[in-house]
Amino acid sequence: MLWTEKYSPKSFDEVLGNVKIKDELVNWTEEWLMGNKQQCMLLIGPPGTGKTTLAHLAAKEFSEYIELNASDKRSYEVLKNTIGEASLSKSLFGEGLKLIIMDEVDGIHGNEDRGGTRALNKIAKEGHHPVIMMANDPYSKRLQSLKPKCNTIILRKVHTNSIVALLKKICIKEGVEFEEHVVRNLAKRSNGDLRTAINDLEVIARGKDKITSEDLDLLSSKDNIINSFDAVRTVLKSKNPRRIKDAMKVEAEPSLMLEIIAENIPREYEKVHEIQKAYEMISQADIYLGRAFSTRAYTYWKYAYELMSLGVALSKEETYRKFSRFNNSSIFTKLSKSRAKRDLRDRVAEKMGEKLHASKKVVKEQFPYMEIMFQNEDTAYEIATYFDLKDDEVKLFRSRKIKVKKSKPKPKQELDQPEGLNGVKAVTKKSKKKQVKKSVKETEDKTKKPRRNKKTVEESKIENKKDKKNPEKDAKDPQKSLFNF
Amino acid sequence: MNGPWVEKYRPKTLDEVVGQDHTIIRLKRYVNEGNMPNLMFTGPAGVGKTTTAIALAKEMLGEYWRQNFLELNASDARGIDTVRNNIKSFCRLKAVGSPFRIIFLDEVDNMTKDAQHALRREMEMYTKTSSFILSCNYSSKIIDPIQSRCAIFRFVPVKGHQIIGRLEYIAKAENLNITMGAIENIVYFAEGDLRRAVNILQASATVGEEINEKSIQDVVSKAKPKDVKKIVAKALDGDFLGARELLRDVMVLQGTSGEDMVTQIYQEISRMAQDGTINENIYINLVESVGETDFRIREGSNPRIQLEALLTKFLINSKAD
Repeated sequence: MLWTEKYSPKSFDEVLGNVKIKDELVNWTEEWLMGNKQQCMLLIGPPGTGKTTLAHLAAKEFSEYIELNASDKRSYEVLKNTIGEASLSKSLFGEGLKLIIMDEVDGIHGNEDRGGTRALNKIAKEGHHPVIMMANDPYSKRLQSLKPKCNTIILRKVHTNSIVALLKKICIKEGVEFEEHVVRNLAKRSNGDLRTAINDLEVIARGKDKITSEDLDLLSSKDNIINSFDAVRTVLKSKNPRRIKDAMKVEAEPSLMLEIIAENIPREYEKVHEIQKAYEMISQADIYLGRAFSTRAYTYWKYAYELMSLGVALSKEETYRKFSRFNNSSIFTKLSKSRAKRDLRDRVAEKMGEKLHASKKVVKEQFPYMEIMFQNEDTAYEIATYFDLKDDEVKLFRSRKIKVKKSKPKPKQELDQPEGLNGVKAVTKKSKKKQVKKSVKETEDKTKKPRRNKKTVEESKIENKKDKKNPEKDAKDPQKSLFNF
Repeated sequence: MNGPWVEKYRPKTLDEVVGQDHTIIRLKRYVNEGNMPNLMFTGPAGVGKTTTAIALAKEMLGEYWRQNFLELNASDARGIDTVRNNIKSFCRLKAVGSPFRIIFLDEVDNMTKDAQHALRREMEMYTKTSSFILSCNYSSKIIDPIQSRCAIFRFVPVKGHQIIGRLEYIAKAENLNITMGAIENIVYFAEGDLRRAVNILQASATVGEEINEKSIQDVVSKAKPKDVKKIVAKALDGDFLGARELLRDVMVLQGTSGEDMVTQIYQEISRMAQDGTINENIYINLVESVGETDFRIREGSNPRIQLEALLTKFLINSKAD
């Protein structure tokens, strides 16, 4: 059994810290059990602060519970079917209460878990069953609509002293001798994450009777981002080659380091020529990363590392004595925010690429022209149909849905032009347009069918099929079909 | 449905291909002999490499060309595995209905060197059953062993009068009302890229009844990456953070390619030099930086990082210095 499990609290009494929260949850559970409906519970806090533990402790009090986490697909349908039912129908057993635990609700994915947030909102609002949801990021967009409907509780990072105390307790129970500073170091590096602390302790202490500071070297630091920032700070603040080299010993991707250093150059350096020189180093480092990638000669990385660290560091005349706030690169937020759009762009580009005999990149270069072409109803319809674009894919090029003006069989024209289909093909766009206008005028007063105008591409395809099967019907009503041009 | 005009008016035969006469003559000789070596088509975008490859395959392989023709885009499937799996399973089978099989690998310059080495093996192994056509923008990015296994054909930018001829042909077929000035304008903006020319033509045709110089201008400026002007202005004004943020927005959110950005930035500073917003000394320094950035991007570095570095060069006459 993992120590995290072995030493997880078995009852509310054993829970470390967070006294108020514990009481609140106990209270909430009791109220439910007495038959008083309560608001949905939303626990927000960083990993390893005990959210899941608390939820599972609460679960013990109820006769039944369902748990869904990020590894389950959580689209609207799935949520409605599993939880929705549970939350709407009364359980057959016991008190008739089914606790629903939803882990990582901020991780509900915009695309794959379509409608997931909507379903959660619904469940939170009308739920007849107790619901506990957990999330990491209090500022997550997906939580904004959820928060007001829930009893929101924020869990703080566990205090280092509390962690130290628990680690010591475990050591004693496991019969492991320890030095005070080793345990304290473990607690500190866990950064308030109790689970990490216990896991780390288990890594170095399991099966041994003593732990020393040498054992700590075994552990690679989990929190690379924190470390990366230390490295960036050293690069920008120092000019000492040895210190910089030491600081750069982080286990972060070189491209990630490059982004964070570049991001913060203009936040630290003030003189223009310093910024220019530093960015030139960044540019050179990036060239080596590119070379490493294209030739798979990763030995190039060392040049990239030197250039982005010492190169940037030496670009300043003197070190600045000031407080600077270093940020993560905005590019990461931009990339994650635009993911849905970029995915859509990729998907459409791939789809179109097959018919255009071109790579995604080449197709994307044509997108600006497509956007213009798609402003025209006829062309939009034609191109969308040719590439078999769905409504949501069309949105990449135009905000409105395509209004249907065309339908395939053109009996009126067939009458006018005996050449048949070939003749129809030869008819140009412009003359079609004129005909449309004309026919619209003709028909507007007599037979108003505005509904047809609103049809989407998809609907019109079905329409086309119908029309094909039944051409005589349309032939009898030439005005109607003309209206569809 | 004929799709966009670039597809609708893609030449179906070698004779129809525009502007690559020398290449076409030699390729037709292969067709007459009924045999061909491995070929490599190099040249800029939109000059007919893919079109020629498909047309050649059709004429070479005859009626059953579809079954015996494999088209792979190396940009989208550029790993070693893709090359091995797809090509191997295709080459293993003997051609049916055709003298041999043809594998067309587009944009080979985007393949990693490892994948190119793997490809070289495949090219040797299946010489009896298959021929390869490779296409790329820059032959310098192709490893020598592959180059030496191919007959290399250099595709040139399509000449102005040839683009005009093609545009007029399309205009007539589509019954467009287009002025000669407009066509010349398209040629100017297309820079020898026929695909772009046809796209500009179709985009303009959807905008208004008569296509004139102005409508071409409108379409081209609409299709340009947005905000380049603002980015340059902000950087020249010393607001590096603002310029960088905007650059990131344009590249990530609008998905503008690095090459496009460089071109636009170059055009913007040329314009500014012409109307005297920046003096000629600053201009020529900036041109040097832009050119260097262009080169670095094409060498395969991260376009956005390179452009951010370029923006620092614009700070030179900023107030902050």
